[in-house]
Amino acid sequence: MWAAVAILIAWQLVITLFRPHVSLLPPPQLAAREFWTLFASGELFVHAGTSLARVLSAWCITGAVAIPLGLAMGWSRRFEKIVDPFVELFRPISPLAWIPLAILWFGIGEAGKVFVVCVATLFPTLLSTIAGVKRIDPVLIHAGQVLGCTDRGSLFLKVIFPAALPSIVVGLRISFGTGWAAIIAAELVAARSGLGYLIANGMEILRADKVLVGMAMIGVLGVCFDAFFRYLSRRFAWGTT
Amino acid sequence: MNASKSKPISIRGIAKTYQTQSGESVEALKPTALEIGAGEFVVIVGPSGCGKSTLLNMLAGFGEPSAGEARVSDVRVTGPDIDRGMVFQSYALFPWRDVIGNVEFGLEQKGIPKCERREIALKYLHMVGLQDFANKEVDELSGGMKQRVAIARAFATEPSIIFMDEPFGALDALTRRFLQRELLHIWQQHRKTIVFVTHSVPEAIYLGDRIVVLTARPGQIKTIINVDLPHPRDATSDTFRDIERAIYAQLDAELVKSFALEGRETAVAAAD
Repeated sequence: MWAAVAILIAWQLVITLFRPHVSLLPPPQLAAREFWTLFASGELFVHAGTSLARVLSAWCITGAVAIPLGLAMGWSRRFEKIVDPFVELFRPISPLAWIPLAILWFGIGEAGKVFVVCVATLFPTLLSTIAGVKRIDPVLIHAGQVLGCTDRGSLFLKVIFPAALPSIVVGLRISFGTGWAAIIAAELVAARSGLGYLIANGMEILRADKVLVGMAMIGVLGVCFDAFFRYLSRRFAWGTT
Repeated sequence: MNASKSKPISIRGIAKTYQTQSGESVEALKPTALEIGAGEFVVIVGPSGCGKSTLLNMLAGFGEPSAGEARVSDVRVTGPDIDRGMVFQSYALFPWRDVIGNVEFGLEQKGIPKCERREIALKYLHMVGLQDFANKEVDELSGGMKQRVAIARAFATEPSIIFMDEPFGALDALTRRFLQRELLHIWQQHRKTIVFVTHSVPEAIYLGDRIVVLTARPGQIKTIINVDLPHPRDATSDTFRDIERAIYAQLDAELVKSFALEGRETAVAAAD
């Protein structure tokens, strides 16, 4: 709250002191009016909804892949040895570096953008899941076994997954953040909708007010989702205190 | 409470040799033989690193023996089983389940229907005096209470044998005394076969029908002492004291060896 007020004051100060052209930095009230226009017409929600839908679908896809893969890698040293070189090779490549390939492969449709977000969300989820499994106290595994989880399936379901869950939730939270950052970048380059497109379009038609509204929306939604995941990770925080 | 089944354990020349990462082989336990009767309370004592936990883990089915075998009612132990419960020093409660959820865990694995499960779990929580804490989270409990939940959890599945690996080692002296008495009481009612590992000689004499004293590493049975005193045992009685003295005499000799061994290793390490 205080941060928002401080930013507004600084913004107004810059306007009065330097008098920048309105296409570079509009005064706050002009940006607010544009916000209201986009808000009232529903355009803002369409863009925000499109971006969110892309992130959510990619995030679910990688969750479905990375969590089982991470559980297996954390559990089996041998399996980890096979897969880990691939992970280490691809991990340092920024998800944004995949945007050109995504456009070549999938064009500028939905698939390409979902693909880029998949790359961005995969590694945080995967690495947190692996770490979560490796950190399990072996005595909990033994306790599960003497209490009847003698096959691998029930041991995973009833001991390993719940024991690793706090770490998995942290990974999901981090990956949502990286996914949210990646989708904006992907939409800047090649899109006809989404908050990234709103910003890129604003730049092209020299409307800094549109750019600012888009950026504000990205920030606010990012904070909201992070707060939601923080709440979730507190609920699943067993064994970490 | 129902006096349910308990089973004998036959330990036949069981031994364990570890391979260290540098390829050296370390003998943790020499071939060991021991017969444990159904419903017997056997306590294993020995200097630290003598292989008593190694032995217990092999009996529970964790880790293959390098030689020999353990048989329960003449069936070879090849892995962990719900019929052989275990209580751990670090409690090993599942933090994502509440107290009663922990006790119900093994009952779920046995496929017992939900309402019946609850009833059995409550019965065993009652046995350890924690029926009013059924819906508490594990983190809210003290160490002593956690171990009581773990004991309830181990007994709830009605295994034939319960292994206890220094279960009271992390507790303060008073809580420890209280839980020893409680465990004895439960054992007298249920008559499970119990194999109990501890560092504490008085604890061993207070609880055990027989006390197995192991030598320093590599562990092997040094002596077995029968404790014929009636329960509850008075730690200040002369007989109790005599047994205590006898065990300490055996252990002291082993500790000297154990320290000498460590000293040599340190010397070797320093020479490298």
